[in-house]
Amino acid sequence: MKIKAWFRTLIFYEILVGMKQTMKHLLKYRPITLEYPHVKKPLPSNYRGMLALLRYDDDTEKCVGCDLCEAACPSRVIRVVSAEVPGEPTKRYAKEFYMDMTRCLFCGMCVQACPVDALAMTQEFEWAVSNKRDLDLNKEQLLAIGDRAFPVKEKRLEFQHPNVAYFNVSFKDIPEKEF
Amino acid sequence: MNEVVVRLALTVSQIAVVMGVVLLTVALLTLMERKVLSWMQDRMGPMEVGPYGILQPVADGLKLFFKEDIIPAGANKIMFSMAPILVLVPALIGFAVIPFGPSWNVEVFGVQFKPFVVSDLNIGVLYILAFTSIGAYGIILGGWSSNSKYSLLGGLRAAAQLISYELNVGLAIVGVLLLSGSLSLVTITEGQLGGFWNWYAFAPPFPQFVAFVVFLIASIAETNRIPFDLPEAESELVAGFFTEYSGMRFAFFFLAEYANMILVSCVATVLFFGGWDAPLPILQAPGDLAWVTGIMWFSLKVAFFLFLFFWIRATLPRLRYDQLMRFGWKVLLPIALGNVVITSIMAYIFH
Repeated sequence: MKIKAWFRTLIFYEILVGMKQTMKHLLKYRPITLEYPHVKKPLPSNYRGMLALLRYDDDTEKCVGCDLCEAACPSRVIRVVSAEVPGEPTKRYAKEFYMDMTRCLFCGMCVQACPVDALAMTQEFEWAVSNKRDLDLNKEQLLAIGDRAFPVKEKRLEFQHPNVAYFNVSFKDIPEKEF
Repeated sequence: MNEVVVRLALTVSQIAVVMGVVLLTVALLTLMERKVLSWMQDRMGPMEVGPYGILQPVADGLKLFFKEDIIPAGANKIMFSMAPILVLVPALIGFAVIPFGPSWNVEVFGVQFKPFVVSDLNIGVLYILAFTSIGAYGIILGGWSSNSKYSLLGGLRAAAQLISYELNVGLAIVGVLLLSGSLSLVTITEGQLGGFWNWYAFAPPFPQFVAFVVFLIASIAETNRIPFDLPEAESELVAGFFTEYSGMRFAFFFLAEYANMILVSCVATVLFFGGWDAPLPILQAPGDLAWVTGIMWFSLKVAFFLFLFFWIRATLPRLRYDQLMRFGWKVLLPIALGNVVITSIMAYIFH
C-alpha cells in the first residue's frame, strides 16, 4: 500500500486526476452563463423592484395624499405634500410626492400601508444613473413608471362606499349624494 | 558592400516576420487563455467584442494604449520606466535562435542564409538562459522602484523563485546537451530527426522524459504562471510586482509574460520533442515542400505546450511559498542532478 502511494506521488496522480476533470468540462462544454444584457433571467412574480404610483383606468391618480406611506417607511424615502382637490373641499390628493430612491431598501412596507392601493412594486431594477440626484423621483416620474409597468389599470368604481369615495381623488363627475 | 546590404535586408525581414508572428500569437494567446479557461470552468469568456469575442485582444490593446500612464509619487522614475523594457526585450530576443523549420541553406543574390532561423548561434541554449535571467532583473527592479510594499514583496518573491528554478531549468537541459554534444538549437534538433523515437524525450540510450517534466515544471515557475504565480499572487499581493503599473508599461509586462510562455514552449519543443521533425517520417512532405510540414509540426507542438499551460492553470491552485521553495530545492534539484549523472553514464557506455 505504501509503495502504491509512493508510486502515485511519483507520477503526480492527484494532479492528473484534476487535469482529467478540467478536460472533461472542456469536452462537455455546457456553460451556465446567462449573457445578461441580452438574455435576462425571469424574475419571481413577487419581486420587489422599483416603486411606482398607479392610476385608475380613467387616468385619475389613485393616491389620496393620506401620508400613511410616509409614516410606514423605515428609511424616510417618501415625502408627501397633501392638498385639497381644487373646488372639492372634501377630497384630498398628493400635490407633491417625492421618493428618494437612494435611501430605499425595497422592503415594501409603503405598499402594504397604502389604503387605496396607489403604490406598487414593479419588476424594474436597472436604475443605474450617473448623477445620484436623478434618483430623487417626483410624482410625474413615479406615475410614468406605474404607467409603463402596469398597463392594465384598475377600474374606478362609479359608486363606492362613502368612506372610500371620501378618500378618492379627482372625481370630476361624481354623482351627487342623495340624502 | 552589396553582400552586406543583402544580408542585412534578409536578416531584418526575417526578424520582422518572426516578431510579427510572435506578437500576433501573444494577442491570440490573451484571448485563447481566457476562452480555454472559461470553457474548463463552464463559463463563456469574452463574448461582447466581435463574434464570439474574437476582437477582444484589439479592444484590450486599444484600452491599454490610451490609458493614463501613472508614475507613483516616490517611485524611482528611471528604474520605473526601464523595468518593463528590461522584461519585454529579453523575452522577445530569445526567439532569435529558435529554429522554426528545416535547417536548409538558401542562396539569395550570392548570400548563403538559413531561412527558418534568425541566427544559428553555436551557444543558443546559453543565450536563451542568459536572456531569461535578465528578464528577472526587470521584474525585481519594477517591484522595487514602484515604492509600494506589495510590489516590493512581489519583486523579492520573483527573485528567490527565479534563482531557484533557473537552476533546475539549466540542469534539466544538461541531459540533452550530453546526448547531442552541442549548444546550438539547430544542431540539437538535427540530432533528433527521423520520427518520434529519435526525440530526446523518448530516445535511447536514456530517454530524457524525466528531465522534460523537470524542465516543464521549472519553466512554468520561471514564467510566473499558476500554480507558481507567487510574484503576482492576486489574493495576497494585489498584483505583485506590477501593482503600480498602468497603461502601456503594464501592457509590456503582460506581453512579456506571454512571450516568455511561447519562448519556453519553443525551447521545450526544440530540446525534447524534435523541433520541426514529424512524429512519423510518413507525415512529412517530400522534397522541397518539407518546410511546410516542418513549420506545421513545430507550431502544433508549441500550441500543445501552450494549451498545457492553460490546462494546468485551470486545474491547480497556487502553491504556498515554503512549498514552492521545498519543491524546487528538495525535489526537482535532486531529480535533475540524478538525471544528469545517469545520462552521462549511459552516454559514455552507449556512444
